[in-house]
Amino acid sequence: MRSGLNASRTPDDWSFVTDIIVVVAVVVYRWSKKAVGPPVFFDRTLPPGSLTTKSTDRLISPRITQWEGRQIERAMKFKAFLTQDGVHLLDKRTLFFSQSATISDAHFRKHLACSLLYITINLLSGDGVQSVAQFNKDVLFRDYRISSQNAGRIAFAVDVALLHRALRSALTIQAQARDDTAAIQIKLVKKLPAGSRDPAPFLTFETKGRVSAVVQDVPISKPLPRDDVQQLQSALEAAQDLPQTLVQVQDLAQLQSLVDRLRNVGDLLTVAITRYGDLHLQVSTSLITVGSEFRRLRVLGLRADPPIGDRTLSAPTRTEMAIQKGEGLSVQVSLKHLAKSLQCHLAKPDCAFYGIAPQGACLTVIFQFFIPGTRLTDKSISFYCRLPVLDPGSGP
Amino acid sequence: MSSSAGVGGDAPDLVCQLDCAQGMVDALSSVRWKRHQDAVVEISEHGVVLIVEESGCLQAKVYLKRELFLAYEYTAEGRPRFGLSLGLFVDCLNTFSTPGHAPVIEIRYPGPDMQLLLKTVDSPDACIYAEIRTRIPDTISWDCNFQSTGNVHATFTEAVDDLEWPGSSIQIVLQPDPPSVILRGEGHGDLQVEFPYYANTDLLIAFQCDQHVSYRYKYKFLRATTSHIPNSVLKDNRGSKVTIGRGGMLKIQHLISVKRAGGQHSHGDISGGIQQLSRIAYIEFFVKPEEDESPVNDT
Repeated sequence: MRSGLNASRTPDDWSFVTDIIVVVAVVVYRWSKKAVGPPVFFDRTLPPGSLTTKSTDRLISPRITQWEGRQIERAMKFKAFLTQDGVHLLDKRTLFFSQSATISDAHFRKHLACSLLYITINLLSGDGVQSVAQFNKDVLFRDYRISSQNAGRIAFAVDVALLHRALRSALTIQAQARDDTAAIQIKLVKKLPAGSRDPAPFLTFETKGRVSAVVQDVPISKPLPRDDVQQLQSALEAAQDLPQTLVQVQDLAQLQSLVDRLRNVGDLLTVAITRYGDLHLQVSTSLITVGSEFRRLRVLGLRADPPIGDRTLSAPTRTEMAIQKGEGLSVQVSLKHLAKSLQCHLAKPDCAFYGIAPQGACLTVIFQFFIPGTRLTDKSISFYCRLPVLDPGSGP
Repeated sequence: MSSSAGVGGDAPDLVCQLDCAQGMVDALSSVRWKRHQDAVVEISEHGVVLIVEESGCLQAKVYLKRELFLAYEYTAEGRPRFGLSLGLFVDCLNTFSTPGHAPVIEIRYPGPDMQLLLKTVDSPDACIYAEIRTRIPDTISWDCNFQSTGNVHATFTEAVDDLEWPGSSIQIVLQPDPPSVILRGEGHGDLQVEFPYYANTDLLIAFQCDQHVSYRYKYKFLRATTSHIPNSVLKDNRGSKVTIGRGGMLKIQHLISVKRAGGQHSHGDISGGIQQLSRIAYIEFFVKPEEDESPVNDT
């Protein structure tokens, strides 16, 4: 019954994968109005930590821009086993997107990518919160095989809720097997859906337990054309533009509770971050101003000593002075966006850093994960959100 | 901390401190029957009174005695009044009360631009502050000169909430013999609920009535008097006092305990009992009866 991609595979087909360092799978939800979900994009060219495409790809056919024709189909392959850690990361820490996205907004755009696996939300659409989660492929996969004519990258859109569901089913089978033999294999296939004449692409989860085996096909979009993949790549690169100053917020639950309550008061939030380690949030309407200031947070990047005597000033005055001295930045963002980005704390990051990108381009939230049991940053996973700035504010 | 102290030159009318934002939110929410609702606040040396009114027929007052506050410095003469949006005030107080932590909030009036100023004062490294714009208050259209003709100390007001009343108004009857309270509604079918005093001593805690009294009240107003009291408060409800005054003015009084979040402060344990007794907000609703000329009384 299984059609397409793997049917004619021979060991030689995979010989080129030995030089794959990085895989980028981008699941883009931008075609979500169609029946299929998000696009996935696999990139075999990128070393971890560097997102620039290097010309390692012997397979590229420069003319091909659409995922059409048997030739490309044959060239586009992806197959891997999910590791235990990978399953845990995806299930418990990342795919919470499924709840927030599907419920809140039908037009939510979402990208899932692998370098590393990238899960990106709204990266191309430009409106709303953009989120990117990025994993080292070795954390997620073993026996990782990918090929495409698009610089070894494949990107597609997938409904993350469906993806999550498939993962949960696979996990259940695995748990029933009670041993490690029940590995979860995922691969790209093309098959004929019931009642249709055209084959459609799927991401298939195969779990073979001792007593049962489950094959679950998650519908995906056609892989993104080369242009979109490039665009996604540049968007990811642009996102590397770090704010000069980042402040650390440890208690995300407290921040979320505050933000939830502030939403009753107004829609627009002015966020100011200073090099002294102050984070100042303020909602202001014609009838009311409510603000909150967190001081002496840990600072990464550019820092400065607070002026002497600033403790006696009020929070808004203090912030305004810092901005005037060029030691702070302030932007206006939507409280709805901030609340949405805070849902990311469901991914249980160990802490979060807030910063304002140069020229107030966006509010960046970088979540930090520790290696379990240590205080060392887990570099195999990176996760950040960018909130669009509504008005390049000058002061609170 | 004293940043805004010197702004106006002379001392503000009121500077007080509060450590039970959630209790205050509960008390004020009880009289918030609409999302956007204006209120008048009157401050005096005895405490703060917040008054809400609707269409001249329903009035609610929340009495926050000065004992409810950690500190209460009142320096004004007369009784300053100002108007504000009750909804904003409640939402704003709500942002101050974080779960598991009851910050000390300083409330100050007036600010440099006649605002109501709030800020937390107990933590130097994290603060919340708010400025609420006030306005010149509307005159209260009626002040109740209340004289009782019969009253019931009761918890039966839930009957108003829980039953499906058929019409837009409810008739309340108090009769001395046999002592009982009757609620009656007419519309698409009739509904009558009778509470004989002797059969419902747990429901009607006290009953005092010399003459037969019967008035009709708008259902939506009766509902407003009970339905917005937060559930958390209802659990240890001390009962409500329902009184019908001269001319049929209905007065419903609730006592709402304004507890500290968590309720366990090491320094407050010894005098805890006494403190809790005084930590009560009084809430009074006044409902005017429907004009009694015609029994149907539809507009």
